[in-house]
Amino acid sequence: MVKISEKKILETIEKALELKKGFLTLDTTRGNEPKWDSLGHISVLSSLDDIFDGRIAGIEEMGTVKSVRKILWILEKNSLV
Amino acid sequence: MKVRIKSIEYYLPPKIENGNSLIKDNPDWCIEDIEKKTGIKTRHISAPGQTVTDMAALASEKLFDSGVDKKSIDSIILVTQSPDYVLPTSSCILQDRLGLTKACVAYDVNLGCSGFIYALAIESALIESHLINRGIIVCSEKYTQYIDKSDRTCRPLFSDGASALLVEPCEDDNIGPFELGTDGSGFGNLIVTVDKTQTAETGMPRNRLYMDGAKVFMFTMDRVPKCANALLDKSGKTFDDIDLFIFHQASKFVLDNIVRRLKLPEEKVFVNYPQVGNTVSASIPIALKDAINEGRVKRGDQIMLVGFGVGYSWGACLVRWQ
Repeated sequence: MVKISEKKILETIEKALELKKGFLTLDTTRGNEPKWDSLGHISVLSSLDDIFDGRIAGIEEMGTVKSVRKILWILEKNSLV
Repeated sequence: MKVRIKSIEYYLPPKIENGNSLIKDNPDWCIEDIEKKTGIKTRHISAPGQTVTDMAALASEKLFDSGVDKKSIDSIILVTQSPDYVLPTSSCILQDRLGLTKACVAYDVNLGCSGFIYALAIESALIESHLINRGIIVCSEKYTQYIDKSDRTCRPLFSDGASALLVEPCEDDNIGPFELGTDGSGFGNLIVTVDKTQTAETGMPRNRLYMDGAKVFMFTMDRVPKCANALLDKSGKTFDDIDLFIFHQASKFVLDNIVRRLKLPEEKVFVNYPQVGNTVSASIPIALKDAINEGRVKRGDQIMLVGFGVGYSWGACLVRWQ
């Protein structure tokens, strides 16, 4: 299984939320980024599932995750990064 | 099963809401963003006082106007989660309003977006076992009564409407197999609470639809592909054997992801959610009727129908169109 880099994950989230390039950081959260609302979060989940070839759908806690840092932590915990 | 869908009709309330209606009540909403993600441009809203049974009767009468003999109907299943009363069951009211015989079996199925598939499984099994001969499946929903005007998660999605469909015996195996399932651990993610205790515990508003969009989305992304694959395994067919896929018309982001996960060619997937919205249990029969009207379904075509949602509950089946 090919692991995906942190840079690629940040770019994917950034694109899903339609943010300007380089705008997203590890400290971006659903609380401090207005575009990361409920619809935005669905875009994030969908985009990550796409690059991880369907392995995100089975990780339940991704549905409630609220920050970039936590996303990376969950992906690492599941041996995806 | 040696059963076929003989005819389908539907009723959508004439009142239509679009992006302008939403922005009128919610000036801070970005309609372009909502429409881009949901894909839903217009939704139908029932008239004040119009009930699920009213809509069910209007759809059913269309079926009878098209030549179906009322006296031949010995079963009604009404699929709804927004019944006229807590009791009696709405299908009993419908039996009387339609003037069907007193020998007619009538009962409600309280399921949402998977409800049509369950009703088709039950009705087909009853016909095959000779408990009934000819039945109608009516799906009627008025979810908008549960949704606040300012609910950004639910209001842009849900639409009111009813479908009516006649099922009867035939010589060939046209319906089945079925793949049905349940995961009640997700019950709180799409819910209308009516009990004060439940409300105090969950903090959810009474008599209002609550949906955790992300969790429901995760469920669909995980479960629907598994359900479709399990159905194909059961039937011994492959995706190439299916001429048309009709999924519950949840929204663009849900259907796009199912198509992506299953790697389906878009031309084999029928959608009508942009104009109709999400009519819950009625969405699959309404989409099937629209697909027939648009010439997307030919006699002999193999169609996969997949419903999924509230519960969580899901169901899929194959239908050979006759």
